[in-house]
Amino acid sequence: MGSSSSILLTKEEIQNIANDTGFAPNQIKRLYNRFTTLDKDTKGYLDRQDLLKIPELHVNPLCERIIEVLVDDHGRDGKLNFKQFAAVFSTFRRGKVEQNDLNSKQNKLKFLFGIYDRDKDNKINKSELLSILKMLVGSNIPEDQMNSIAERTITELDENGDLVITFEEFCETLQKIDVDEKMSMKFLT
Amino acid sequence: MSFFSKWSSQSSTKYIKLIYFSFLCLYLITKRVYSATEEVIGGEEKVITRYQVAKFNFEHVSDVYAITLWILLGSLAKVGFHLSHKLTEKFPESCLLIILGLVVGGLLYATKLAEQKAYVLNSDTFFLFLLPPIIFEAGYFMPNRPFFDNIGTILLFAIANTLFNTLTIGLTLWGFSFTPLYGGTEFEMLHCFVFSALISAVDPVAVLATFVEIHVNDMLYIVVFGESLLNDAVSVVLYRMFDAFADMGTSNILPVDIVLGGTSFLIVALGGVLIGIVFGILACFTTKFTEHTPVLEPLIILTYSYLSYLTAEMFSTSGILAITFCGMFMKQYIEFNISKKSNATIEYVLKMLASIMETIIFMFMGLSTISDHHSWNTGFVVVTLISCTLYRIIGVIIFANIANRWRLLELKITDMLIMSYGGIRGAVAFALALILDESKIPTKKEFVTATIAVVFFTVFVQGTTIGPIVKYFKIKRKEIEEPTMSAKLTNRLIDHIMSCLEDIAGVAGKHSLRDKIRNFDRGYIKPFLLREKFLSRDEKLLSTFKKITEANFNKMSENPSFMFQSSQSMAQLNTFAAYRNQSIGNLISSGTLPFKFCDANNQWLTETTTVPDFQILNSVPSKRADEDAEFHHLLDNAMYDARRIQKIHKRSQLDEEIDPFEKNKRNAKKYGHTLHHQKPVNLRSIIEPMGGKKRSVSSFQTPRQSTDKQRPKAKSSEPRPKIENEKTKETEKKKFFIVTTEENNSDQSFNTSTQSPASPANLDTNMPPPPWKTSADDEEPVRASMPSWANNPEYTIHATTSKPEDKTRKNLFDVFDQDAQKK
Repeated sequence: MGSSSSILLTKEEIQNIANDTGFAPNQIKRLYNRFTTLDKDTKGYLDRQDLLKIPELHVNPLCERIIEVLVDDHGRDGKLNFKQFAAVFSTFRRGKVEQNDLNSKQNKLKFLFGIYDRDKDNKINKSELLSILKMLVGSNIPEDQMNSIAERTITELDENGDLVITFEEFCETLQKIDVDEKMSMKFLT
Repeated sequence: MSFFSKWSSQSSTKYIKLIYFSFLCLYLITKRVYSATEEVIGGEEKVITRYQVAKFNFEHVSDVYAITLWILLGSLAKVGFHLSHKLTEKFPESCLLIILGLVVGGLLYATKLAEQKAYVLNSDTFFLFLLPPIIFEAGYFMPNRPFFDNIGTILLFAIANTLFNTLTIGLTLWGFSFTPLYGGTEFEMLHCFVFSALISAVDPVAVLATFVEIHVNDMLYIVVFGESLLNDAVSVVLYRMFDAFADMGTSNILPVDIVLGGTSFLIVALGGVLIGIVFGILACFTTKFTEHTPVLEPLIILTYSYLSYLTAEMFSTSGILAITFCGMFMKQYIEFNISKKSNATIEYVLKMLASIMETIIFMFMGLSTISDHHSWNTGFVVVTLISCTLYRIIGVIIFANIANRWRLLELKITDMLIMSYGGIRGAVAFALALILDESKIPTKKEFVTATIAVVFFTVFVQGTTIGPIVKYFKIKRKEIEEPTMSAKLTNRLIDHIMSCLEDIAGVAGKHSLRDKIRNFDRGYIKPFLLREKFLSRDEKLLSTFKKITEANFNKMSENPSFMFQSSQSMAQLNTFAAYRNQSIGNLISSGTLPFKFCDANNQWLTETTTVPDFQILNSVPSKRADEDAEFHHLLDNAMYDARRIQKIHKRSQLDEEIDPFEKNKRNAKKYGHTLHHQKPVNLRSIIEPMGGKKRSVSSFQTPRQSTDKQRPKAKSSEPRPKIENEKTKETEKKKFFIVTTEENNSDQSFNTSTQSPASPANLDTNMPPPPWKTSADDEEPVRASMPSWANNPEYTIHATTSKPEDKTRKNLFDVFDQDAQKK
């Protein structure tokens, strides 16, 4: 489709992005190809509509929320340019992790936390949790059951008993989950 | 025996008695003592035998008796070993069992009590009876997620590493036949390959027995165990192929035969998997219809899985693969179909079968060692041992490094060490060695001996030292943790996020593949195989929640003092009355009542036998609750029946699963109405435990035989129909089921017909004034209504709705009317 526009990426730019993200130049070219394919009108950025058009996403119960997070939190004004696009994905790049790399565990957890925390107060409250639960489980489950599940989850994650989950509490209780391993993906070179 | 007594020093006397007993039993069978009850028929004249009062007929039962005794001996041995902790800490069970087998075998051999055939492991018995339960259990409880996450590595090891080992070991063994090391015995090349095919496969039984005890992390366990399971196909094919080649002779083998061997591998492996899955589908589909015959469910599952094994063997495909995949497939769906009890049963039975079969296998390994079918060839045994160990290590290093190229979590050096150390050979190799044909392979005895040597070496040396090695290298252990909702939710979230991101990035990774499989499963397989239609998108998430809740309830019912945290309980209980109108859900959310139940050091609840769950706490907001008739009725229907009631025994159904309506009818018969409440639960002890009045359950229970008239009035401040004479009875009957709404007009929660399904959690302060607060007039009607949440289908398991009208108590006139109409 728009693959010819990949020429637009100069070597310097590739090098810059590679330095920032840790991707290999080939991976960046590949990502850029994908980016231009998604960017149907060659606007130079992706917006919500572009991402929602991906057919495979429709079965994913969380796709709208994830796209929202991508476009709003990681892009600017609902637009995601290629640098931001590459930065997001570098969070999930596999490989050796150093302290300040983009793909650190902290960053992965932050992305995960951001999926819940929509009002960006750095806290997850019950209604935010409940909305995610509903997306996952569907709407056929009685309200009070969903409520009790959400309550249960909050009490598990919550440490000081204020019934909201801060990012620190979130990281603390999810220590056991191998986030590093689970939240990385393979990028072709 | 001194050998034994030295071992189990403390608990030895009992244990030795057991051993003596089992020896005595064995002696009885093996001696074949049977009474000469038959009269000798002398000459042609028939001697009349008198009628015999008693007979001793051992022949009749001998075979089954022997089998049963072996099983008993195995179980007793296992029980005995575990009585002494010192013993099981130092030696793995498999070693102890082999030693026991050696001792028993030695005794049998020395005393010549039994023929050797009777106690030497029989390949048919092994492959048809002993092996399948172990493999099925392993497949059924296989941790799916780690298995499929590591499937690439597992396959690489199962196929490539086994092939590598077979070829290198075979070549080495053959190569040394040109040296004088074997002492002149000739080993042909193909015979060496047959032997190497059977000896190079890691044994699933031995690996399970060893790894279960050392608790390494899931990844390591699954890589080694998965390899041992899946290499079956490879080793079976290699074994058969070389066996056939040995038949044909070296000169007649064409390249096409090797190609055929490769094709045969595909058929053996894929055919086995396919047969397993087909039987898995059949089993799930069958359980879709077992709603009315729940007791048969475990049997159906067992027979289908066993059939999958037998069918696979029948088509000469890999039975081990078939039954493994049958178990793995079944587990995903069957749990949703079968009843909870069937599920518990199947898990228990599987564990029991697998554990006894494992015991017997190791015992027989020891027993079979003591026989005349051996030919010790030091050179051959040593070369075999060294090459097995060496090539295992080399193979693991080579293939682990290959696997690391794509693995996310790289296999470290210590992992490789454990993997090569976990290459334990076992009974499968031994059984395969036993079925070699001595007429075709003259060196069979050498092979059998070498196999036993390798098995003993790996089981004893590697089996006993792997534990300390795991400790020494601080290899990550398996974390046994309770499932938490947050972990489950987060994992699920991560899955979705990753698959979404993979889709956006246009990379087809494992996440999006898994998502696709999951969607296919939800869309097509589940609706086909499951009894219930799935309403929610993510049933697993919900079932995790259910499991957690259930676990909490179970904890509570096992030990009621779990209910409150010790530090808080005192203060909390004093003020409990203040919360009585609050639902437990509110209490939890407000943080006043901990949801987790921890140990309590207070003893006040220890004598309580009947423990209510949350609903009871919810729906009983007062300490006078034990007098609430509705509530007792509810409990009577929903909870464990403390008093024995004669039940009609139905074989196809479990006794406890009585239709609540049936029960209502029965109550109606017994007490004249469905609302009897003779069985107060010891609720007071929960609600006002600090009152200092320790009440036992029995003090609350009114005697069973008390009729309505005799029932103590003081106990029932709640108005009930008092049956004075025939006339009042008649009037009472009419009032009996009037729903009291006059006092509580504003409130609807008692009005079950109009209320939308509610839950106990919803019931809170706007509860109506409870029945006992109303004035106790003589004419006051009795409430027949249930709490509003009783209508909620969610709670029907616990709370069954009473019938609004009692049909068994018809008006006298109605009865006559009907009769008249009929006529």
